[in-house]
Amino acid sequence: MSTAIRVSDLRVDFYRGETLVNSPLRGINLEIQSGETLGIVGETGCGKTLTATAIMGLLPSSARQRGEIEFGKYGALKPESMQNIRGAEITMIFQNPQSAFNPIFTIGAQMKLVAQKRNFGRAEIPAMLDQILSSVGLTDTKRIVSSYPHQLSGGMLQRCMIAMAMISNPKLLIADEPTTALDATIGDQVLKLIRDLQEREGFAMLFISHDITAVAKVADHISVIYAGRVIENGPAGDVMKNPYHPYTQGLLGAIPSASKARGALTAIPGSVPSLLRDITGCSFAPRCGKSSSQCAQEPPDVEMDEQKVACWMVKQ
Amino acid sequence: MTELMMEISNVSKTFSVRHSGKVHEITAVDNVSLSLYKGEVLGVVGESGSGKSTLARCAFGISYPTQGETLILGKSLAKKSNKATQELRSNLGYVFQDPAGSINPRMTVRDAIAEPLQLHSKDQKVISARVAFLLDRVGLADSQSRRKSHELSGGQCQRVAIARALSTNPKIVLLDEPTSSLDLSVQAQILNLLEELRRDFDLTYFMISHNLDVVSHLSDRVAVMKDGKIIEVGTTRKVIDSPQHPFTQELIRVYSGIEPSNSLPTNFHLDTWQEGPLNTWAYQNVAKFLPTRNIPASHTPQVLEQQIDDRIGVSHMDWQPKKLPLGQVLQDLHTDSIVVLRKGELVFEEYFNGMSKSSPHLLQSVSKSILGGLYGKLIDEGEIDSSHTFNHFLPELKNSVYGSATIQQALDMTIAVQFSEDYTDPNSEMARLDEAIGWRSSPDGREVGLKSYLKTLKTNGTHGKKFQYCSANTDALAWLISEVTGKPYQDLISEFIWQPMGASNAATITIDRDGLSVGNGGISCSARDLALFGQMLLNHGCRDDVQVLPAAWVDETFTGASPEVDSADYLQALHPGGSYKNQWWVTNSPQREIYAVGIYGQYLWLDPSTGTVIAKMSSIPIPVDHVHSRMHVALFRAICNVDR
Repeated sequence: MSTAIRVSDLRVDFYRGETLVNSPLRGINLEIQSGETLGIVGETGCGKTLTATAIMGLLPSSARQRGEIEFGKYGALKPESMQNIRGAEITMIFQNPQSAFNPIFTIGAQMKLVAQKRNFGRAEIPAMLDQILSSVGLTDTKRIVSSYPHQLSGGMLQRCMIAMAMISNPKLLIADEPTTALDATIGDQVLKLIRDLQEREGFAMLFISHDITAVAKVADHISVIYAGRVIENGPAGDVMKNPYHPYTQGLLGAIPSASKARGALTAIPGSVPSLLRDITGCSFAPRCGKSSSQCAQEPPDVEMDEQKVACWMVKQ
Repeated sequence: MTELMMEISNVSKTFSVRHSGKVHEITAVDNVSLSLYKGEVLGVVGESGSGKSTLARCAFGISYPTQGETLILGKSLAKKSNKATQELRSNLGYVFQDPAGSINPRMTVRDAIAEPLQLHSKDQKVISARVAFLLDRVGLADSQSRRKSHELSGGQCQRVAIARALSTNPKIVLLDEPTSSLDLSVQAQILNLLEELRRDFDLTYFMISHNLDVVSHLSDRVAVMKDGKIIEVGTTRKVIDSPQHPFTQELIRVYSGIEPSNSLPTNFHLDTWQEGPLNTWAYQNVAKFLPTRNIPASHTPQVLEQQIDDRIGVSHMDWQPKKLPLGQVLQDLHTDSIVVLRKGELVFEEYFNGMSKSSPHLLQSVSKSILGGLYGKLIDEGEIDSSHTFNHFLPELKNSVYGSATIQQALDMTIAVQFSEDYTDPNSEMARLDEAIGWRSSPDGREVGLKSYLKTLKTNGTHGKKFQYCSANTDALAWLISEVTGKPYQDLISEFIWQPMGASNAATITIDRDGLSVGNGGISCSARDLALFGQMLLNHGCRDDVQVLPAAWVDETFTGASPEVDSADYLQALHPGGSYKNQWWVTNSPQREIYAVGIYGQYLWLDPSTGTVIAKMSSIPIPVDHVHSRMHVALFRAICNVDR
C-alpha cells in the first residue's frame, strides 16, 4: 500500500492587504493510504472545508498557505501543476448537489465537458456515460443524461456528481459533506455507493463531515479537527470507542441516539472559538472541564497506541 | 387518564399547484389524527416533503387544514380572530429551525423576548423582570440582552427563541427542527435545556424533526410520517425496539448503523398482514414483526416412521358435480404445508411457498386447542378446578364478564359476552382484541395490552346456555393458568406438551406489550409437530407408553358438549349435531372426528375411525367462509377414505 497524500503542517492565513486577519488552519497533518478513507470530523468553522480547498489549490488570493502537500508521484504540489491534477487525479464531490451543477445545462452536457477534457473520443462518450451512470446505481441513464438538474432528486443528483468525479479514475476523492443535504435513508444509500466504488476502484478518500456517525460508517481513520488543528487522530474504531481528547469525548457524548437510554446528554459548554482572535495555548481549554495552567501552552501530540492526541491532560 | 392538550382529528391539507397550465392538487397532509397529552413530548419524524411541517402548522393554527380540525384544550382554533381564539393562542409557543431567521434582526434580544409580553402588560417593570427571569432560565447572561441577533451564535439565538416562546407561559410548545442548524455540541446543550424547561414549567412539546436520534431522545411517543400520512405511532421504546413499518425499520437501521436481521416485504403493514397475499409470507415469519417467546424443541424428539402412501397424492375429492384432484384442491385452498399421519406413520407430506418440514407457520386459533390440552392436564393434576369462576383466581377480572363465568364455560365457549368475532369489521371487538395483543396498529398509539382489554369486556346474558365462540376467552384462560401456576404460559406449553410429546422443532408464541402470551392464536410451529400433537391425542393422550395428557380428558373432548347447550347455525350447517368442547370442534359424524381450526385455513384434523391425523397450514386470503370450510372437511375425509 502506498501513501496517496500526505499533508504536513498545513497553515492558512488570511490577509487584508498586508494585515493578518485570521489563521483558520494552524498546522494540519494528514496522511491517507491508497484505497483507504480518512474521515475529518469537526464543527462549523473548524477548518474542514478549508483543508479540502487547500488540497485542491483553490484558496482565494487573500489566503497564504504554508506547509507541504505531497501527492503520490507528483511530490509536493505546486500551484502550476494543479491544472493537470485537479479534476483528474483529485476529484471532489460537494454537499449540495443542487448548486454544484449548472442549472442551465443538462447533466449529459456537463459530464461530456469533463469527459472531453479527459481525452475521451466523441464517439466513445455516450457509452462511457451510460456505463458510469449505471455504476453509481442509476437506471434509465438515457433520461438522466438529457435531464436538467432541477428535474432530478437530490439523491439522483448526488449519484450523478459521484459519477462525474469517477470519469477520470481519480487517485484521491474528496467528499465534502456528501450526505448532509440528503434525507437520512438516501444519504445511507449514497454512503454505501461510495464505499462500494472505493472497493472497486481503489482510490483514497478524504471524507469530511460534521456528523461523526456518518464518518464512522465509511472511514478507516478519523481525524478530529478543532479550531484549525487535528486534536485527535487514529483508527476509526479506536477513536469512536476509546476517545482520549476531552473534546472528542464530549462530541461523542453529545450525540443523541435512538438506541441509547434517554437522559441528559454530555453537552460541551460554550461554543467553537472565533478564529478572528489569536489563540494561544490549547484552543479547547476555555470549554474543557479538565484544563489546568499547562493548557496555556500549545499541547504536544501524545501517542496513545495508534491514536495521536493533542492534549496536556492525556497520560503519557 | 392524563389530560388531553391537543387533538388533531382527521386533518388534511391540500395545496393547488399550477404546472404547465394545469392546476394540480397536492395533498401534503392526508387524514392525520394524533393526540397530545399533558406533559408528554410527541415527536413527529419524517423526511423532507413528508408533510410534517405542514401538519405542525395546521395543528398550531399557523395555517388552516383543508379538512378536519385541531382542538386545543378542547376548543377549536376558529379561523376568525377574536378574544377567545387570542386567549387560546396564548397557550401555544413556537420555536423554529433557523434561530437567526426567526428573530427580527433589528431588535435587541430584550425587545424580541419582550414583544409578546407587551400584548399582555403595559408595566415595563413587570416585563423587564420577566425578561431577566427568562434569560436566566435559558442560560443567557443579562449583558447579552442588549445585543442583536447577528451578534449571537446559533446556539445563543436558539436560546433567545426559546425564551421568547416561553414568555407568555404557554402550555404547548411547537419545536420545529429546533436543533437542525446547530453544531453537535450545541445541539446537546439545547436538547438538555428543552428537557429541563419541560420538567420545570410542566410543558407539553410537539416536536418535529427529520433526525430520528433527536426525536427519540426527547420524545415519549414517536409518530413516523411519510407521504402525508402517519404510518406508525407508539411509545418511543416500542417504535425503536420493534418498528412495524418497513420505512421505520429502514430509518432505524440508517440511524443505528445496524443491519436488522430481518427485512419485511415492502408492502408489509400491521393492519393487513393477516390477510392475503401478505399472509403467505407473514404466517411463516411472525417472529420477524411481532415480539415472541420461544417454546423449545423436545430433548427427546419423536422420530416419525415414514410409510408414504402414493395413493393419497393421486386421489380425488368429491365436490359435486365434479371430482377434483387433490393437487388442485391443495392449491385452491392456498396450502402452505400438509402432513398426514396414519396409525402413527407419516403417509403423506407436501410443502409449498418456501415451507419445509421444519419451518414454523402461524396456527391462529389452532393454538386454542393446544391450550385445551394444557387445561386437561392441569385440571387432572388438581392444579385448577374448572368449576371455579375466573374471579376465584383473578380478582382483577371481577368487574368484567369473567367475574361471573367459570373456567369450564370459557373452555366450552358458553360465556355470554358482548363480543363480535367479526374478523373483517375494523370496528368489531375482535379488531380491538387484535390491537390489544399488538397484532394490529392502534389508531392513537396508546396500546392497551391484553389484561386491560379483557377487563373491559361485559356480559350480555346468562353463561352456560349458548355456544358463543369468543377468542378473548382463550386469552383470559392463558392469563389465568399462568397466574395460577406462577409460570409463563409458554413454559407450561413446553413443560406439559412440547417436551413430553417429543416436538422436533421449537415453536414460538407472540406476546402482548406487557409480555403476556397470546393464547387465542399466537403459536407458530411446524406442521410435523402439530401432527405429532394430534397423534398423541388419538393415542388417548399417550406418546409410546407415557401418558402426556389424561385419557379421560381426551374421551370427554371426543364426546362433545352437552346437547342442552344451544349451538350455532353455522356449526350445525357444517356438522349436524356437532359441538365445541374443551377448545375443540366435535363433528358428531359416524367417524367421530374432532378438529382444531384457525382462520385463513389452519387445521388439525383427527379421525379415530381410520387412525388418521392431518395437519394443514394455509394462507387463504380471507379469514373464513363456508365454502372454504366445506372444502376442507371434504378434503380431509377424502384423504382418510383412501385407506378405508
